[in-house]
Amino acid sequence: MSDSGKSFKIALLGNPNSGKSTVFNQLTGLRQKTGNFPGVTVDIKEGRLRFPSGLEARLIDLPGTYSLYPTSSDEKIVTAVLTNPADPFYPDALVYIADVTHLDKHMLLFTQLLDLGLPLLLALNMSDSAAEQGIKVNTARLVAQFRIPVISISGRTGENIQKLLHELEKLIRNEPDAAAGSEMVFYPLREQEKQVVDAVRHNLPIDNAYCALLLAHHHGWLPFLKKQERETLSAIVETKDFQSLRAQVDETLDRYDRFTPIVRKTIQQPFVSGGTTTDHIDAVLTHRLFGPLIFFGVMLMVFMAIFFGYDTTGGWVENATGILVDAVGNNMADNWLSSLLVKGVLPGLQGVLVFVPQIALLFLLISILEEVGYMARAVFIFDKTMRRFGMNGRSIVALIGGGACAVPAIMGTRTISNWKERLITVMVTPFISCSARIPVYLVLIPVALPLSTWWTKALIFGGMYFFGLGAALGAAYVFKKILRTSDPSFLALELPEYRMPHWKNVWLTVWEKVKAFVAGAGKIIFMISIALWILGNSGPDGALDNAESRIRAEMSDSLTPEELNDRVAAKRLEASYAGIIGKSIEPAIRPLGYDWKIGIALLSSFAAREVFNGTMYTIYSLESVGAKEEEEASNQRPFERYGRLRQQMTDDRFENGDRVYTLATGISLLVFYALAMQCMSTLAVVRRETGNWKWPIFQFLFMSGLAYFFAWLVYTLLPKV
Amino acid sequence: MQRRYRTIADLKQHESALAIAVTDPALAGKLTAMGVLPGTLIELVRPAPFGNAFYIKVDGIRLALREEEAACILLEL
Repeated sequence: MSDSGKSFKIALLGNPNSGKSTVFNQLTGLRQKTGNFPGVTVDIKEGRLRFPSGLEARLIDLPGTYSLYPTSSDEKIVTAVLTNPADPFYPDALVYIADVTHLDKHMLLFTQLLDLGLPLLLALNMSDSAAEQGIKVNTARLVAQFRIPVISISGRTGENIQKLLHELEKLIRNEPDAAAGSEMVFYPLREQEKQVVDAVRHNLPIDNAYCALLLAHHHGWLPFLKKQERETLSAIVETKDFQSLRAQVDETLDRYDRFTPIVRKTIQQPFVSGGTTTDHIDAVLTHRLFGPLIFFGVMLMVFMAIFFGYDTTGGWVENATGILVDAVGNNMADNWLSSLLVKGVLPGLQGVLVFVPQIALLFLLISILEEVGYMARAVFIFDKTMRRFGMNGRSIVALIGGGACAVPAIMGTRTISNWKERLITVMVTPFISCSARIPVYLVLIPVALPLSTWWTKALIFGGMYFFGLGAALGAAYVFKKILRTSDPSFLALELPEYRMPHWKNVWLTVWEKVKAFVAGAGKIIFMISIALWILGNSGPDGALDNAESRIRAEMSDSLTPEELNDRVAAKRLEASYAGIIGKSIEPAIRPLGYDWKIGIALLSSFAAREVFNGTMYTIYSLESVGAKEEEEASNQRPFERYGRLRQQMTDDRFENGDRVYTLATGISLLVFYALAMQCMSTLAVVRRETGNWKWPIFQFLFMSGLAYFFAWLVYTLLPKV
Repeated sequence: MQRRYRTIADLKQHESALAIAVTDPALAGKLTAMGVLPGTLIELVRPAPFGNAFYIKVDGIRLALREEEAACILLEL
């Protein structure tokens, strides 16, 4: 190995709950990004390591797993990377993170890595907890045994992180004593395994015996194998009558038999009697009655925080963009560029930024729950409930996350090993009312029920969340009945010890999610806003100018200049391409109680539902008051906001004189926005997670179909008053 | 006929028993990798609030297992 020009790749490995991500965050800080894993399309976190000498390397954070015999798609990544030297993430060296307080349970994967023959470093993490519990570790013994560098560290306190870097640098520079361990074999192959390995090595260009064995075990799914290689491996397994599952268990047990005595000689642990703090907490949090009650209490608090958080922070963002709009308006000539900025770009930017505080807040709360170890308990409590609806206890994490944004929530479903359970979770998570629906609900609820009390409105607002949850569970139940799978389904989940959250982890998670939102969903919202501006400001030859001169000729006497300008803008919009499109779909949405203006808003919302309010302001030609009103919004109670917009909507009439916004139309729109798939970023992430376009297209059709049907139903049933 | 083993479902809350074998090969791979091995002491901490799953302790590790997963761990009488 030389360090000239080529960048070193170091992979971080460990069991779930080994504290691996804390160590990763300690080593890389903000110098990390989430890359895309080709083929399996799964994100892998990567960071930049800077050694004291100035040498740099890439640090790759592979998902936590117990073994190289994976059961879920995130665990499969580890095996797929480590058995394929051509993989872009294939590391030059490995760092194995083990929880030293449970070393007897954390050595299995380590010994498997040892047999892969890559330069390896063993980091015994949680040295701080070990010291507290009076655990003594003889690292010298481990060094002698495995002939690799072994270091006691603490990801939480940062203890020995510099030393880890130092040893790691020695390892990748291949200094004499460092990589000696790569020659040793921990697990001696059994006779049949030897035959299989020999046959694999004879047919494929593989050197390492254990790697050859892993290819034989996993030839059915490893994504990088060519068809011919797969067939060759399959034939070898067949002719040698190699029973993969059996052999995996035998190998695992044999490894335990070999390393358990070593661990026993290494670790001195005082005998502890009685329950630990975690046991006491769990006696309440997983209690038959209190457990579920506390869960609902916690969820209620999380969503109250989101709602009131939106209330305050949304105003700040609106104020800030309002100032920008004024600045542009006052300092630029009135031309197409300033119009694009003021009416296209800045509202688009605001549409993105307005969600940032909520997304940050929700992920802050979720990641705290995750960090302290509470999420695993929620999974345990609700596994049965979720299974009744064809999902897995782990789905609860996605459904909660869906309350912020479906995109990261859907990415989090990778921990579900069963394809059917995972797919159902992915399909129904977008029904959960995400933060993008909040502003839409806030405008529509008072429009539907103008005379009701504040509390009725708040109740309906809360009801929308239950409606979304009900839709998610109902759809899941139907999918459960339809879909078939032979995949095994697991709960088998470790319930980690409760810990205080490690704040660096929490902040980095929030930072990462917000960044992903701004880069992904944000980009789309932004582009739609601009596209909408273009469609709204152009039309067939001369149509816009004709509409303008007509209205000016008719109305110039009866209106104030400001009113006239607003009316002109409305007529121009009606004559524009956006207006033409809206009118052409009006017959299709008329049964739901919508007119062409709502049609435009619906169409633009199919890219991102949060565009609704902005489009409505444009349509009702309220740009002149829109910015001002949003500025005021921060001082108003939630359902009193957007007053001028609501007034315009309430006054609006169909050509026959009937009011457009009746109770029926308002509720119909609320139902539509709760159910419809109106988010391109979600569809894009579903495409990535399911591997083809079949599922996102299906999801789009069934969600929108359901929205149309129920919107029609409530419009038909409710009084048009 | 008398069974020669018990399973976690037969344990009372906070009762422990030695595991003697893990049967189902598909589940055994997962469970052994997580540390549920023949010869380890398994304690039933409590059943899940809505049933269908168990909270168990194995050598200081806490695990949540479904009934089917728990059923393939054979315990000493």
